[in-house]
Amino acid sequence: MKTLEILKSLTESSGISGDEQEVAELVRKFFSQNADKAYLDKFKNVIGYKKGITSEGKIMFASHIDQIGMMVNKIDKNGFIYFVPIGGHDPRVLVGQNVLIFGKEKIKGVIGSTPPHLQKKEDQNKVTPIENLYIDTGLKKEFVEKNVSVGDTIVFDTAGAELQNNNMASQAMDNRAGVVVLVETLNELTKMKHNWDVFMVGTSQEEVGVRGVSTCTYEIKPDVGVVIDVTFGYSPGAKKHKVYKLNKGGTIASGPNFHPFLTKKLKEIANEWEIPFQSSFAARPGGTDAYSMQISGEGVPVVQMGIPLRYMHTTVETLNIKDIKRMAKILAIFVSNVDDFYKEVKH
Amino acid sequence: MKNLIKEIVETFGPSGREDDIREKIAGYMKAYVDEIKQDSMGNLICIKKGKGPKIMVAAHMDEIGVITTHITKKGFLRFSSVGGVSPVRCLYQRVVFENGVKGVIGTEPVDKLSKLDFDKLFIDIGAKDREEAQKMIKEGTFGAFTNQYDELNDLMVAKSMDDRIGCAVAIKAAEKLKKTDNEIYFVFTTQEEVGLRGAKVSAYNLEPDLGIAIDVTGSGDTPEAPKMPMKLRNGVAIKVKDSSVLVPKKVKDFFIQVAEKNHIDYQLEVLQYGGTDAGAINLTKSGIMAGVLSIPTRYIHSVSEVLAESDVKATVTLLTKILESDIKNLI
Repeated sequence: MKTLEILKSLTESSGISGDEQEVAELVRKFFSQNADKAYLDKFKNVIGYKKGITSEGKIMFASHIDQIGMMVNKIDKNGFIYFVPIGGHDPRVLVGQNVLIFGKEKIKGVIGSTPPHLQKKEDQNKVTPIENLYIDTGLKKEFVEKNVSVGDTIVFDTAGAELQNNNMASQAMDNRAGVVVLVETLNELTKMKHNWDVFMVGTSQEEVGVRGVSTCTYEIKPDVGVVIDVTFGYSPGAKKHKVYKLNKGGTIASGPNFHPFLTKKLKEIANEWEIPFQSSFAARPGGTDAYSMQISGEGVPVVQMGIPLRYMHTTVETLNIKDIKRMAKILAIFVSNVDDFYKEVKH
Repeated sequence: MKNLIKEIVETFGPSGREDDIREKIAGYMKAYVDEIKQDSMGNLICIKKGKGPKIMVAAHMDEIGVITTHITKKGFLRFSSVGGVSPVRCLYQRVVFENGVKGVIGTEPVDKLSKLDFDKLFIDIGAKDREEAQKMIKEGTFGAFTNQYDELNDLMVAKSMDDRIGCAVAIKAAEKLKKTDNEIYFVFTTQEEVGLRGAKVSAYNLEPDLGIAIDVTGSGDTPEAPKMPMKLRNGVAIKVKDSSVLVPKKVKDFFIQVAEKNHIDYQLEVLQYGGTDAGAINLTKSGIMAGVLSIPTRYIHSVSEVLAESDVKATVTLLTKILESDIKNLI
C-alpha cells in the first residue's frame, strides 16, 4: 500500500480518546505486515513488535492513535443533542460540521447555529461556547432517546481532500500521520539489520492527558523512546518562531524533555544521509507522549520528531506526505544503529 | 445509616491531616474485614480476604480545608487553601484548626465579589494582637470548615459529603457484603483533594485487578445549572468520563448490567471538570481497569453539600452487588 493510501484509510477510521477500538484494529493490521507480532493491550494501545538480531536492548516508538471528538451530555425536549468536548477544541471550528454519533447505531447529524439574521447585534462578534452548541439529527425525540444515550461518542464526519503538490488535508491527521511514520519505519526496517527489539506503539488517550503511553511504557520498559507527533506548520498569521515549514522535513526536537546525545545522533544521521529535517525547541515538557514517557518507571531517554501540520485540531489538518517518508528513513537508520551509539549514552 | 453519615461528615480531616477521620473509620470497619493496615501516605486499607480477583474500592477520607501562612500585627491569620476552596464559598465560614482553635473567615473591603481572592481574606481567631495569636496558633497549621449535618425533606446536607458519603457507602457495603471469592480492599484514601495522591500509592502497592472509586459528582437540576445529565433522586451515577478518567467501556457496561439485573436505579454520568481516585488507579503500572460510582451532589466544595438519601442507598446496593459478582470476564 502506498503511503497516501495508508494515511487516507487511517484518517477515515474513527477512534476518539477512550474509544479507540476501530482505529486500533486497523493499526494492528498495518503493523502486522512487517512486525513479528501485533497486539492490543488493555488500554487499547496497539503494539507492533519486531525482534532484533541480538535483542540486547529495546527501542519503543510512540505515536498516538486517538483523535479529538465529543461525547453526548444531554438530549433536550426537542431531541437536540448537547455534548462535551473530548480533547482540545476551538468552538469556532465546531459550528457547521457534519458529525457521526455512535449510539445503538451510527447516526448522522450536524452542529447547527442561529442564522446571522436572527442573532442579536451584540452576539454577532461573540463565539458561542461549546456548552451551547447542539447536534441536529433530524430525528424525533423518541427515536433519539431510544438510540442515543449519555456518554455515547461523537466524531466529525468529513472526508479528507488531496491538495496539490503532495499536500493532503483531513481530520485526525493529528496523529494518524504519526502512525503512518511508524508503519513506514517498520517497512524501511525490513531492508536493514537491527540488533535491538523494536516496539512500535500506537498509543491511546493522548489527547486527554498522555495516558495510554504511560502504562505501555511501564510494561515495555524500553532503553530508548522515540515519540512521533504532529507539530505546528507554517500558516499566514501564525507566529514564525513557533511554526515549521511543510515539505522541508520533519522536526527534531530539543529541550529538557529530550535526550541531548540521542537527539544529536538523530541529526547526524539526517545530515549524513542528506535527508532534510528542521530543528525545533521546547523550553519545557509539552503535551506529547514524550512528557509521560521520559518519567516512566526508572526514566527513559527520549527523542522526538514532529510532522509540520497546518490548522491543528480542525477537520482540515494539512500536511505534506513527503515529510512522512523522510522521517521514516531517518528513524529506520537510527534504529539500525542505536545499539552502537547507545554504548556512549551517559546516564 | 444517617447516624454514620452525621458522625463522619463532622469529623476533622483536611488533606494531609487525616488522623482523626482514619481512626473513626477504622473503628467501624474492624467488624467487617479480616485485616486493617495503614501505609506511608496514611491510606487506611481494610482487607476482606479471598482467593479470586482483587478489587480495590477507593473512597477518599480527606476534605478540603485551609492552612495558615502568616500572622498579622493585629493578630489575624493569612491563609492558603488545601484543595479546591473557592474564596467566595468560604467567606464568613467557620473553621476549626488541628489544635482545636476556632476561627471565622473575613475579608478586606472589595468592590466586587468576583474580585475576591485569598490575598484579601483572613481568619479571625479573636486574638488581640500578634503576640496573643502566636500563643494560640503557628504558621502551617491545618484547618477544616465546620457545619452541622441536617436534613431537607428527603435530602441530606452537610460539609464534606465530598467524600465522606463515599466512605459511608464503602462502610455500608462492607457490612452488607455476603460471601465472595473476590479479595476486596476497602481503601480510605488520603490527599485526593490535592491531586489523587493517596490512591496513586495504594494502587501501586496493592495492584488490584479492578478499581472502583466512590465519590460525589455534580448535578444539573438547580436553577440555570450548567448542562449536566445527573439529577438528585435519579439513582446511583455510573461514570462515563470526568477529567481524570475515561472509564473503559466494558467496566461501564458491566456496572450497568449489574444495576439492571438487580433493579437498582442508575443514571449515566458525564462530568466535564473534576477528577476522582479512579484516574490515578487507572494509570497505575501497566494500567488497571477502573470505574466510578458517584452520588449526584449540589453545591460541591461548599459547607452545604446536598444529596439524596435514595441515591446513597442505590450506590450501596450497586457496590455490594458488584463486589459479589464474578469479574473474571472483566479483567
